[in-house]
Amino acid sequence: MRGGRLMLPALLVLLASAAAAGGSNITFIGVAQPERARVNWVLKCQGCHRPDGSGSPHTAPALAGQVARFVGLPGGREYLGRVPGVADAALDNKELAELLNWTLQRFDRGHLPPNFRPYDAAELAALRRAPLRTDASQMRRTILQAPHAIR
Amino acid sequence: MIDLDRLFEKSTRNIARRTSRRSLLSLTGKLIAGGLALPLLPVERANAGPPTKGKNASDTGAPIDPGDPQSCEYWRYCAIDGYLCSCCGGTTSSCPPGTEMSPITWIGTCINPGDGRAYIISYNDCCGRSSCGRCRCNRNEGERPMVRPQANNDINWCLGTQSAAYHCSTAIILGTATGSKP
Repeated sequence: MRGGRLMLPALLVLLASAAAAGGSNITFIGVAQPERARVNWVLKCQGCHRPDGSGSPHTAPALAGQVARFVGLPGGREYLGRVPGVADAALDNKELAELLNWTLQRFDRGHLPPNFRPYDAAELAALRRAPLRTDASQMRRTILQAPHAIR
Repeated sequence: MIDLDRLFEKSTRNIARRTSRRSLLSLTGKLIAGGLALPLLPVERANAGPPTKGKNASDTGAPIDPGDPQSCEYWRYCAIDGYLCSCCGGTTSSCPPGTEMSPITWIGTCINPGDGRAYIISYNDCCGRSSCGRCRCNRNEGERPMVRPQANNDINWCLGTQSAAYHCSTAIILGTATGSKP
């Protein structure tokens, strides 16, 4: 009986490592070091956006199944580089661009336009010079309410 | 040999004369009950070693995880600000009974002196009861001022829980911070 109980955690560990190994085969464009991007995600984003990207009400919007919609919306691509969590992250422009590209592909690959052009350091450098503050949520609503917004 | 035979016969007859079958049953019963009760006596527990003061078994004495989780000096607490759950009826990775762990957390990295590597630590708060008040620990290494809210710990991290009342903080290892600046 004791052996039977131990089997389940062991099986879960096996499955988790298999999933992790499989995940590393997925290509991330605009991401030089996926492992570095993942660690930066944990350190800079996960605390509020949660490990599964489901977010927290009022403070950190859900990323999973949502975030890449902005890339194809007017003003959306710029918005993602100016939201407080991105613009103020304690990372240099290169790692920040990598982290943003990784996050888009990790949590919302389905909404990414087929011709997606990854962010680069120069673009992030320009965007984060004008960080959003309390106006971020209003801008978010405006972008999503655009007539041709993808649902 | 005859003497030995006689000795045994005499003692057996003596026993048979003085005792009854019921007394044998009584004696056997006492032995069984006493044998079962013996491990419950405090003597046994005193021999088991010094009290562990509620620490996690894995946190005590392991060279890979050195230090005392009830002390603010413990390596995992390098970016903590609050009461240690290890002193409040919980552990470094679990909340005390009657509290709920917040899913929204303060995350940092700490160097483990046991292997010299940087570990990602999640300081999940335990919420739903008033402040624990034991083992206050405010190290907050790497914290930034309030103008950078993402890197400031002086807020209530009891978010996403039923109650916003802060009780104590855990220090859960999420992984190693390979190839990244803390």
